[in-house]
Formats: sequence, structure tokens, C-alpha cells
Amino acid sequence: MAQLTKRGLLAAVVCSDSFMKLGKAQAKVFGVPDLPLLEIKHPLGGLNMDQVRERAAVAMPQLLKFIKTSREKTATEKQS
Amino acid sequence: MTAITTLLQKPGALIECDDDPEAVFDMLCAKGWSDGFPVIPPTPERVERMLAYCDRDFDQPVIKIPPRFGAATPVRVAANAVMAGCKPEYFPLVLLALEALAEDQYNLYGTQATTHPCTPMLIFNGPVAREVGLNSGHNVMGNYFRANATIGRAVRLALVNIGAAIPGTGDMATAGTPAKFSFCVAENEESSPWEPLHVEMGYAKDTTTVTVVAAEGPHNINDHESLTPEGILRMTSGTMATTGSNNAYYAGQPVLAFGPEHAATVASKGMTKAQVKQWLFDDAVIPLSRFSEENIARRFRRRNAEQYANVPLDTPVHMWQKPDDLIIIVAGGAGKHSQYVPTFGITRAATKPLKRADGELVKSIAELKRG
Repeated sequence: MAQLTKRGLLAAVVCSDSFMKLGKAQAKVFGVPDLPLLEIKHPLGGLNMDQVRERAAVAMPQLLKFIKTSREKTATEKQS
Repeated sequence: MTAITTLLQKPGALIECDDDPEAVFDMLCAKGWSDGFPVIPPTPERVERMLAYCDRDFDQPVIKIPPRFGAATPVRVAANAVMAGCKPEYFPLVLLALEALAEDQYNLYGTQATTHPCTPMLIFNGPVAREVGLNSGHNVMGNYFRANATIGRAVRLALVNIGAAIPGTGDMATAGTPAKFSFCVAENEESSPWEPLHVEMGYAKDTTTVTVVAAEGPHNINDHESLTPEGILRMTSGTMATTGSNNAYYAGQPVLAFGPEHAATVASKGMTKAQVKQWLFDDAVIPLSRFSEENIARRFRRRNAEQYANVPLDTPVHMWQKPDDLIIIVAGGAGKHSQYVPTFGITRAATKPLKRADGELVKSIAELKRG
């Protein structure tokens, strides 16, 4: 994801709450401190389909917001 | 070669602290530079002495340690070796272990950050291991022996202090393992009925090597009764065959460390190491039915569909992927015990020979003495 971000593509990482510290630290290490982390509830393993859908429902608005914000920022940059 | 006095002039290279061991320990713990045990304060003088057997450039990294990808330069590693309690003549073996961990197949990034309780198991072979006093006999995986305890500890401290394998932020191990303090052994080559590990891997007997394995803690195999090779191996395979092992699902190269007495019985009718590996591969199996429904459905039938999609529930599941993946050594003293060491899943062992900076093999640690 860090490489995709550096190439100018929109990229985000789905990260469970227990791993947010690791995710933030690794984003800094790989030179993309602002890499969006879409926070969902831990765990990821051992889930039934309803629990997977619950997490997707939490992640999706964060993803859409990130895409919207990024597009608005790009548009603003082009205008200026 | 950059002099240590020059390196110590770099910003942040030196930290002032009260000249008191407790104050130094408190300060290091507060900064997170610790394994929780007291350390020898890494003063400039001690770090310089630690480098007495180092023929590498002091400021050229031997590895960048993930997850921080911190540069493990000899001078930084030496500070950790001082803290661990190493003698200067141990230091080339600490660097060698770090060089081995840098090999891609070991997957240091994955093994540092995983929830699995793995840590580098360092297996030394060859003359320098004996020369510096690495223990291969009684209590080989336990306490007491300075070389084993401090070489393994120095590597672990480097992984934490340089690589930022800090629990909860860089080391996500659910529970970890006591082996994370130090897990360093020498093979008991003199008591082995087979060729030692490094010879099996193509090195000369008088070459010194380290083999690094992303290991769990060891599990004991007690067998005071068996009189035949098959008897010892049957008890061994029963200990290996467990449903919760990463090696049942993924790759990895688990280690079987035969105690010398078990090794002698197993070899008593001429079985080679390769034959032992094949025997155990065939016998250390669990029927698919012994795994939970969810694991059968997800890990086996879906993830390993090529092998398990439509097989019956009595299909045997092997404990590692290919017979030769099992690493066999002989270690320990008298007694009817052996040790089985499962591993992380996505990893392979890596072996490195001890060489001078000019590429020549080191036959004695004295060759590396500077000045």
C-alpha cells in the first residue's frame, strides 16, 4: 500500500483496532505517515459471515470518505 | 574503518546517565531498550572492547532489522552485546546470527511482527562454537552457560532495540515464549551418530556455521522404555503430531533435537538421517477428522484445495511439507529425553558460515582479533 500511495494511487489499509499502533508505526517506517487505516473491530480470524459483514459495514464508510476527500483535494490542487 | 570515537560524536550516539547500574537500568527500561532483565551499562569503553574481534566496518549495517528497519551496524549491535553480557570473542557469532536472519527465506519481518510465539533459535556448528564455550551438553536449551545465554540475548536485544520488536506495537505475539529471552544452542557433534547439521548442508566439518530457525519453545519427548529405533521414533512422532502447530498448515522447518542416548538407539541399526526423516514424516500424521469442522472447511478444503478439497476425513495430515524439511540435530547430555521445536509457518531456516571480511573462512576466533 505504501508503494501504491507513493505512485500516486489511492490506497488504504483495513486494520483491526488491536493492530492500529503497528499500522501507524509501519506507515511511518515506509514513508507514508498519512496512509489511511480503515479501523475495524478485532479479530479478523474465526468470524462467521454476519461478523464479516459487520466489519465491512464499518470499513466501507471510512473508505468512501477517504475517496471523497482525496478527490476534493485533487480538484482543489488542480484549480490552484 | 571509522573509529569508534568518531561514531560516538554523532548526534544521539551518547546518552548521559548517573554512574550507577540501577540508574542505567531504569533509564534503559524507561526508553524501552530492554528485555526486562538487568543489563551491563553499554559505556563507550565497553562498546569499544566488544568490537575487539570485529573486522567489519563499525558503521556499515549487517542488516536492517524490521519492523523499524533500523540499521544494525556493528557499533549498535556491540552496545546490545555489552548489555547482554557477551564477551568480546562472542561478538562475531552475534553478527553472524544477524546476517543469517537477513536472508529472505527466514522472513524476519513476518516473524518479528506475527502473533505467533516464534523467536530465532540459533544452532551453531563447528570449531569456533566449541572455542568460545557454547554449550552442547546438559541443559543445552536451558540456563547457566554464558555463551549460550548472552549470544542469544544479544540477538534478541538487537531485534527489540534496533528493530523495534516492541510488544503491542512491533511484536504482536499473542503470548510470546520464554525462548524470546535467549534460544541459542550448539550441536553436540561429538555425540552424534550422524553427520552434523552443517556437514549435511554441504559445509566442511571445520567450518563454523549458524543456522537460524523461527522457532517456538521446545517440547520435551520423554522415552525411558523404548529399546529400538522404531520405538523411539514412534514416541517422537506422537509428540510431533499436534493440531495446533503452524507446521500442519503451512511450510516451515521444525527442529528435532535428539538427546545423545535417543540418537544412539535410533542409529543402532544403521538408519541414516534421511531415513529417520522419512520415517517420521510418514508416522507423524493426524487424520483430517481430528481438526475442527471450521479448520477442515477453511484451512484444508478451501485454502489447500489442491490437496484436500475432496479427500475423506481419515486422510492423514503430515506435520511438515516434505520429509527433508525436518531439521535433525543431536543436543544435550545424558538422559532419555529429546526436544521437538515447531516453527512459524511462512519461514525457512537459513545457514551462514563464519567468514572474515575478506571472505576467508574463520578457523579460530583469534583470527578476528584486531590490533
